Order: sequence, then C-alpha cells, then structure tokens
Amino acid sequence: MPEPSVRALPAPPAFDPCQLSRSLAEQLELICPSGALSVAGPMLRYDVGACTACGRCQQLAGAAVRSSGLIELATADRGHLVKQIPILGDPDG
Amino acid sequence: MAEPHAITTASELRSTVQRQFGRSLFIRTIDTGSCAVCESEIRLLSAPHYDLNRLGFFFTPAPRHADLLMVTGPAIRAMDIAVAKTYAAIPEPKIVVAVGSCALGGVYEADEFVHGSVEQILPVDVWIPGCPPSPVALLHGLLIAVGRLAEKAENAHFTFTPRGRA
Amino acid sequence: MTSATSALLIAAGSLWLVAAGTGAFGTRRPAVPAAGVFSALGGAAAIAGGVAILIDAHRSSASLAGNGVVGTLSLRIDPLAGVFIGLLGVVAVGTGLYTPRYHHPESGTALYLIIYNLALVSCLGVLVAGNLVTFLVAWETMALLSYLLILRHQFDTAAVNGAFWFFALSEAGFALIISAFVILATKTGTTDFSAIAARSAHVPAGWRSAAFLLAFVGFGFKAGIVPLHVWLPYAHPVAPADGSALLSGLIVKLGVFGIALFGFELLGPGPTWWGLVVMITGASTAVIGILYALNEHDIKTFLAYSTIENVGIIVTALGAGLVFQAAGHPELGAFMLLAALFHSVTHGASKTLLFLEAGIVEHATGTRDMDRLGGLVRRLPRGAVCSFIGTLGIAALPPFAGFASEWLIFQGLFQGFRIPSHVDAILVVVAGAALGLTGGLAIAAFTRAFGIPYLGMPRTQAAATATEAGQPIIGPGVLALTIAALGIGAPAVAVALGRAVQTTTGFDLRPHLLVSKLTVIPAHTNFSAFSPTYLAAFLIAVSIVPVLIYFAGRPRGKQATVPVWDGGIVTFKPRMQYSAMTFSAPTRVTFNRLYRPTVHLARASDEPAGRSGPVHFEISSSPLFERFLYRPVICAIQWLSAFVRPIQSGDVNIYLLYVLLAVVVAYLVAAV
Repeated sequence: MPEPSVRALPAPPAFDPCQLSRSLAEQLELICPSGALSVAGPMLRYDVGACTACGRCQQLAGAAVRSSGLIELATADRGHLVKQIPILGDPDG
Repeated sequence: MAEPHAITTASELRSTVQRQFGRSLFIRTIDTGSCAVCESEIRLLSAPHYDLNRLGFFFTPAPRHADLLMVTGPAIRAMDIAVAKTYAAIPEPKIVVAVGSCALGGVYEADEFVHGSVEQILPVDVWIPGCPPSPVALLHGLLIAVGRLAEKAENAHFTFTPRGRA
Repeated sequence: MTSATSALLIAAGSLWLVAAGTGAFGTRRPAVPAAGVFSALGGAAAIAGGVAILIDAHRSSASLAGNGVVGTLSLRIDPLAGVFIGLLGVVAVGTGLYTPRYHHPESGTALYLIIYNLALVSCLGVLVAGNLVTFLVAWETMALLSYLLILRHQFDTAAVNGAFWFFALSEAGFALIISAFVILATKTGTTDFSAIAARSAHVPAGWRSAAFLLAFVGFGFKAGIVPLHVWLPYAHPVAPADGSALLSGLIVKLGVFGIALFGFELLGPGPTWWGLVVMITGASTAVIGILYALNEHDIKTFLAYSTIENVGIIVTALGAGLVFQAAGHPELGAFMLLAALFHSVTHGASKTLLFLEAGIVEHATGTRDMDRLGGLVRRLPRGAVCSFIGTLGIAALPPFAGFASEWLIFQGLFQGFRIPSHVDAILVVVAGAALGLTGGLAIAAFTRAFGIPYLGMPRTQAAATATEAGQPIIGPGVLALTIAALGIGAPAVAVALGRAVQTTTGFDLRPHLLVSKLTVIPAHTNFSAFSPTYLAAFLIAVSIVPVLIYFAGRPRGKQATVPVWDGGIVTFKPRMQYSAMTFSAPTRVTFNRLYRPTVHLARASDEPAGRSGPVHFEISSSPLFERFLYRPVICAIQWLSAFVRPIQSGDVNIYLLYVLLAVVVAYLVAAV
C-alpha cells in the first residue's frame, strides 16, 4: 500500500458523466493544454496517457471533474489508457 | 509484449520474460527531448526509499548490456539517429518502455521538430503515463514489463458519481 | 676458419665498394637498385662474417703496410667486434633492400649512395681495427662520412643545423678518444690493442681511471649518453631514412663498442666506481631519453630519443657488468656484457626497421608529424605490419627480440643483492628500478607512436590518400623476420654471444647460460629462467584457443549483425581522437620540471571559444641541455677566442715576424 504522501500526488482526473454537457465538454477540450480531451460524437475521448495532471480541467469545472487518485497506470496496451466518457449532462448546463 | 521473434505464443513470451528478466534486468534510459523531470524520477528509483536494486533491476549506460530501454521525451527528430543506434545495439530480447506524457503522445503535436510520441520511432511494449510518473508508478510499470504484476489501467473507468470514486 | 672469416669480411667490404661504385651512376635507371642489391649482399657477407667470428671465437690480427711515423695499419678479428659486424650486416641488408624503391634517380642520389656505402666500409674498418692508428683513422672517416650523409638535403636549414651538431659533438668526442688512447699507448708503450690489453695491468691506477673516463665521455658523445646526446634529435629527422637507420642502428652502437672495448678489454679489471659511474649515467640516460621521447610528435625525433633511451639501457648493463666484475662476480659481469651486446643487436634491428618505416610514411604522406597522420593501417597495410613488429621489438614485448634482451638485463640487475657491498648492491637494484620505469614509459611512448599515426581516422587529407604502391617492402620485411628470429631463437643467440664474452672477459659463460637447450638462465640456476621458444609456442597456442572456442560454441540460431556501438554519435570527426600531444599530457604534467614546456597560443579573434576562428596551439619543451650546458661552454670558448683573435691580425708583416720568431726559437731549442 503506498504511503500517505503518495495519495497527495497529482493524478489524472476522473469525470462525472452526468454533469458533463456538450458545451462543457467542448470547453474542457479547448482548455486542456496536452490534447488529452476531445469530443467525439456523444463521447468525451479522454487519453489518460496524454494527461499531465495540470488541474486546469478541475479548475474550470470543479463539480464535474475531480482527481482520480490513481497513479499506477502503466499498461502494455496503449488502448487501455484511452477512455470514452459518455456525455450525459443537461445540454443547457 | 513486443512482437515475438522466436517465441510463438503470448504465454510463452510471458514465461520467457519472467524467466529471463524477472530476477535481473538491466535498464538503459534515453532522453529524446524531455524536460528531464522524468529522468529525475527515474533516478529516484535508485534511492534507498524505492531501491530498485533490491528487485534485481540495474541501470547501465551500455546498450549492449541492457535488456530494457526506457524512453522519455516526445521523440524530437534530432535524436532519430541516436535512438536508432541505441535500439539496434540492444540485443534481443528487449523491452521498450515509454515514460511520461510526452512520450505517450501528449503535450507536443507532431511537427518539423518532433515526432510527438515515441511510438512513431520505436515499437513500445509498456507505456507509463504521468507528468512526471512518480517512482511508484515507474516501479509498477517495470514490474508489469517483466510480468510480475498485472496492470490496473485496463479496469479503471475514470468516472465517478458525486458520492464516491470510480 | 680464420681465412674463411677474413674472406667473408673482405667480401663484405668489397661488395660495399662495388655498391659505392655502382651508386656513382646514380642518375641512370638501373644504378640505384644495383647499388642497393650490392649493399645488401655485402651486408649478408658481413652477417656471415660476424657469425663466423663468433663460432670461431678467438682473436687474430694481421698487419698491413705502414711506416715509422704513422705506425702500422693493423687489422684484428675480435669476437666482441664480431657481434657488431653482424649487426652492421643486418642494418646493411635492411637498408640495401630498401634502397631501390626509396631513393629515386635525382640529383644528389649518386653522391649519397657513394657516401653511404663508403660509410659502411668505414664502420667495418672501425670494427676490424687492430691498433690505435687504424682505429682512429677509421673512426674519423666514419664520422666524416656520416656528417655528409646527414647533409643529403644540403639546402635545408634544419639539415645543416643537424649535421653541424652531429659533427661538432663527434669531434669533441674524438678529441677525448684520442686523449684516452694516447694515455694508454704512452703508458703501455705500444699501440696494438692486444698488447695494450696484456700490459694495462701495469699502468698506474690514476692513469687508467683517467683513460677510462676520457674514453667513456668521448665514446659517450657518439653513443648518445645524456648530456652528450644533443645531436641525436637534431640529426636524425633530417637525414634520409636509411641514413637515420645507420646512425641509430649502428653508429651509436660503435660508441657502445668503444666503451665496452675500454671497460672490459683494454683497461683490464678496474675499481667499482667505474662501473657505478657508467651505470648511473646509463640509467639517467634511459629515463631522460624516454621522457623526452614522449613529448615529441615528429616520428623521427621520437625515434632518436628512443635510441637515447635504449643506449642508456645498454650502458647501464655495461656499467652493472663492471660493478659485478669488481665485486667478485665474474659470471654476472660477463652476463651483463652479454645482455648489453644482445640488446645492442636487437635494438639495432628494431630501430633500423622503425626508421625505414618512418621513411615510407614520410614518402607516402609527405609529413613526419604524428598529429597529421592517422588510419595508415588501412592505407599502408604491409608497412603497418612491419612497423608493428618493430614496435613490439623495441617495446620489449614477447616473443620478439627486445623482450629477450631486456629480460636478460633485468635479471642481471636484480641479482645485485649478490654484491657484498650494500651501497653498490642498492645502486644496482635502483638502476634496475629506473630501467623498469623506462620500460613502462616506453610502452606508453610506443603505443602512442604506433597508435596515433597508424590507427584511428586520418587527420589530414595527406594521410587519407596515402598509398603503398611503390614503397619498399622487402627490406622492412627481412628486418621484421630477423626481429622475430632473434626473439624466438634467443637461446642460440645468447650462446653465440657467450663466445664473444668469453674471449673478452675470460669467463666462460656457456655452462651458466642454458638449461636443457632452450631455457635461458641468468648465470645462476637458483634465480629465474625463461624459454623464449616455449613462450612463443605458448603464445601461438593461447591465441588459437579462443578462436576455436568461438567457432565451436557460438550460438547456431539467427544472428543479427549490427554496427559497433559508438555512443550514438551522428558522425565521427578526426578531431575527436587523441592527438600525440594529448596522449602524453599526463607525463608532461608529472614531469613538468624536466620539460618546462613553453606554450604558444594564438587565436584569430577575441570572441569566446568556439566562435573565435582558428586557434593555433603549440607546446614544446625547453632545450635544457643546450641552454644550461652547451651554451655556456660555447660562450666561454667564444670569449676565449676573442682574446686570441688579435694574433690573426691579417697583416702579412706580422705573420712574417711570427715566422722569424719561430725560427729563432727553434734554433735556440736545437742548440740547447
């Protein structure tokens, strides 16, 4: 079990699909400096591998985004690091 | 794992890697244009707190002695020849690990100076995201590389409901 | 036997005269190769003559014409000289076979070939001289002809300077040699060498010591002992390759021959301090010689300093031999003389080969500067092989010649503990330690001398386009085989030299030299032993085994061929390599007080490094001996001459007055 200080390390974000609206998703795509977020159809394509845990997306939409707390994310398949988050939020929100 | 050369099935590859590398692995790092923070974290692996050597992993500058190539940075074009020579100098079987968001394709788009991700120039076996990945993450990645741990990313959803975590 | 020996020597001399005559037609096409072939044949006859003398192992002499004023011209066949006659033959064969492709029919070649072959004859004359007059006449002829050899490129300032240094110091030595001989001749009442040797025991000790010191310094000028060595680095680079080879291979050995002649034969047993002086001087010469060699990047100057180092080693051995003799160990004294003779022969062969190869490099690339060469092993492959064998021979690596001779010298020196006097014993062993230091430095120096020009990448266009077409190969090849043969056949050579030593010192070394035909021991069975023949066989076997293991045990599966790991460098530039001066920088730093280097640094502009344009950096060592020893002497002589100059007023009347005064004085003396 990692020691307590590890939990305080910056980690990629996790999203609440219910709070994600399309306009919010597009704003998140624009604000991510690393190109980890992009809107693809009804999904938010989230490349965990490209994320640098800068925190801008959490700053922009604190209700929909919070730190995942996961740092042990190595994988042998690059595809496992690309997540499709459904955009379920209110279109006007 | 890497494309098998003399090994036919995935399980055979896993057992070969575990047999050959599970107890002792020599790591060669190469920087293809990173900001050197990933290197700092890699260097911390040798520190007493994480102590890579107790797991049988060692760093070596000589690619001829290396089993695993750790690549950081977004693969700038100026390093093409050096990376190619280093990769060619490592004898089979070899494992390539891409370390850091830059190496995985984030941060930098491909343009005239940079490929954008290490995948463009090398066949990568293990990806370790993070900016930088902490030594815990690096250790986790290395142990995956030698088949001693199972990965966690596959089953992580990165979604949450307001009451808990995913 | 004796007549056969004389016939061989006469044949050698005649063939060289024929070569000189053929060389006189130097501008015609077949003249140069013909002269070379005759010279080589003469060399072969000389080798045969030398070997015959050693097999025969007794002295004989013959008198030729003469008159009461000059004395008789007397020749002598002496085994000690026989060793050097053999060496002379080896040098002559090598240079003779080298001549056809090295010398081109142009102006000056004819004269050079005449002088060269006459020089060979005069060296032979020095070695067969049986009495004072013959020796001195032959010696001076040899010096004069060598001077003319060095002056081959007579319009080159450096050549004139080098030749002048050679001649000046040669004459200084000659004066001292004459003095030594005159002392001996007057005190023993005879000029014949054998008679002098027989009667020298009755000469008072003070006169014998004076004669020894005069001879040591006088022959030391020729041999190149520090501080009398100054002419070598000036003269060798400017002479043609075969001239330098003759100088280093043989003529400095004539100086050694003179010292051995006086120390071991003419003067009879002497006090210990003779040997100590010789030994300490020799050890210092060896160390200083190799240190200066490490600072040189001109190949021939480097080889000249290496000659000084090896002469130091030989002289150390001679000195230790004298010490052992005086301390009551005649077997070790004879052994050290044998070791010194062996080293003279092996060094002569190796150095000749190296100088000939340096000449090839100079002709192929146009430069002698190591820092302008590189990668010659690919451009001049056969030359590189010969040069490598020569380097192994000189750096004393088994199984080649230098290893055997240096091993003998070291084993003799390390037995210094047998000397009763503690001080002498310690000094002998310290001399051994000094030679150990020079051995280590010599390996570094020759690694540099072979590695920088021959290995790596070419540093200039001249080195990259050098070609071996038309370069001599037979001469160097024969010498390379000789070096290998001398090394592997060392027991046989040692036995042959033992005969020479027996005649000279009166001690029969042969029972104390060999165990079971192929193993050499240093005069005592309980000290050490080595067999160069077995060693050579072992080295060959050991070299084959890894190859066999590789072929038997290599993996049968798929193999990938990848380039050598070079650090990932994009392109290699020749400037990334070591240069000769950077290779020897640690030595320069350590021995700063000896070199006192002067650094000359010039930049094209004051911009920071990398943007300042071309930077010129030159480092050279201070000429200590010229500045602190020779310049004061020269200035003193000039100051004295200034006093005497008024006598030469140029006025005829004054001169007539001198004549009148001389006649008056003569009458007065006659009357009284």
